[in-house]
Amino acid sequence: MQVKAIVLAAALSIGPSLLRAQFDFRIDGRDVQVHSFASQGFMYSNNNNYLTMDTSNGSLALTDFGVNVSTAITDKFRVGAQLYDYNMGLLGNFHPQLDWGYGDYRFKDWLGIRAGKVKTVQGLSHDVQDMEFLHTWALMPQSVYPIDTRGDTIAHIGADLYGDFSVKKAGSFSYTLFGGKRPNDADGGYLYGVDTMSHVPAPQGGFMYITAQTKDVTYYGGPVYGADLHWTTPVKGLLLGASYMVQDITTTGTYTKPVVVPYKLTTVTDNATNFYVEYVLRNLRFAGEYRSEPKIVQLNEPNGVLVQGFQDSRSGYVSLSYRFTKWLELGSYHSRYVDNWPVTHSDPRNHIFDQVFTARFDIDRYVDFKIEGHFIDGACIDGVLDHGFYAAPNPNGLAPKMHMLVMRVGYHM
Amino acid sequence: MRHLQIFFIATVVGICAAVTASAADIKVIANPAVGASSVSADELKGVFLATKTSLSDGSHVEPVLEKGGPVHEAFVKEYLGKTDAALQTYYRSLVFTGKASMPKTLAADAEVVAYVAKTRGAIGYVSAASSTAGVKTLDVK
Repeated sequence: MQVKAIVLAAALSIGPSLLRAQFDFRIDGRDVQVHSFASQGFMYSNNNNYLTMDTSNGSLALTDFGVNVSTAITDKFRVGAQLYDYNMGLLGNFHPQLDWGYGDYRFKDWLGIRAGKVKTVQGLSHDVQDMEFLHTWALMPQSVYPIDTRGDTIAHIGADLYGDFSVKKAGSFSYTLFGGKRPNDADGGYLYGVDTMSHVPAPQGGFMYITAQTKDVTYYGGPVYGADLHWTTPVKGLLLGASYMVQDITTTGTYTKPVVVPYKLTTVTDNATNFYVEYVLRNLRFAGEYRSEPKIVQLNEPNGVLVQGFQDSRSGYVSLSYRFTKWLELGSYHSRYVDNWPVTHSDPRNHIFDQVFTARFDIDRYVDFKIEGHFIDGACIDGVLDHGFYAAPNPNGLAPKMHMLVMRVGYHM
Repeated sequence: MRHLQIFFIATVVGICAAVTASAADIKVIANPAVGASSVSADELKGVFLATKTSLSDGSHVEPVLEKGGPVHEAFVKEYLGKTDAALQTYYRSLVFTGKASMPKTLAADAEVVAYVAKTRGAIGYVSAASSTAGVKTLDVK
């Protein structure tokens, strides 16, 4: 017991120093940088269980961490990789994964190529949505950046063409063209949700999902391509942008009930369009995004009948934050998600509206703490996907309104 | 009483002036191997925001930052249009997606001058009063 206490005391005293140790070093005359991050969250909701966590009883099951290594081989060629691991309720399960890993050759400032596993550039923050230390918020607006399906959309295995160029008095532009394949996230929210839902005809036409473990889904992935354009306008602090993405995702597995037969869901069309704006004036930041993703999918019923489902989701948010001091930032956002635009928006089964208030405390250069309140209207009960409100962890059904407290401490170096 | 008020106001203004700086108080310096003798404000911004890796004359450049202080604050505000906190967040977004490395960051003018003098392609900024032996000063157009 005494030995354990001594070891624990030593770890607690040395740990912070190690965390802040400089991990840059040189190999064969080249600088190699090592960076890392970690976060731990707590969530409590007054009803419903959110993001597969037991939030109605308070849950600490929100942990992630990562480490990356990178170096410049020549003035134009860089290589690097980042490992990432997480657990969030019933997702993640601390299975480490390659977050990104690629080679990057920059021919000119206006033309470069990245190839490997690359974070997908879409909207203001798609490729950095999971780096909590970069944001004011403990949870990014879930309408546009759903944390439970992060692994299903955040990266592609393929290549990007990218570059930056100025147009005299019109400002400057950053563009990205990308193409590749969506990797499979076996521990992500998409497969978990599809696994624990069953498809039945909906009264309004099309289909709907109800809770029933009737299949074992094992694969999600397929080709994806698109583009993003950032415009840093001549107006100081104003950035505008647009993104477009086409996905051809296939989901496969096996029905387990009522018969054991293959299950396959394919994409007929799935096009996502984003428009976004950011305005920064000294310590004030305003941001807003709008996303539209109409899609048609086709799947086989256990009896072999092919059915099609249609979804026209629209989502977006507006946010405002202000950094009062080096250690305090306050902010608020309003996030809206409508699962099927032609269906009544006010129906809580068809929307999730979230009003959020956040305080971020920067303890020092490396450590931050956030406390955040969510006032959520709607749970998208009839949604094609769960959007955080999974039926299986809510066996008594979902309440249409929910209040939630989120606290999160993070470190990065 | 009135003289006391004037003295107080003048003292406060003087202190504020001492701890702030403007673009006029900053020199942009580069390693002597950099071919250019001047740099546009857009180029300078591009270099320090990692959207440009070379100047218009083709010289490859790498930015060097200061950790803090009035010269750093003024440079970041005047030439990059950001606060220091926003700049750090910007660089971290690049580092944690693999798009760039954290730039070299040094504590004081003398360290910046010494590093720029010995490092091919290095470009940095110091106070206008600093000695710049061993480096070249770039005019910002």
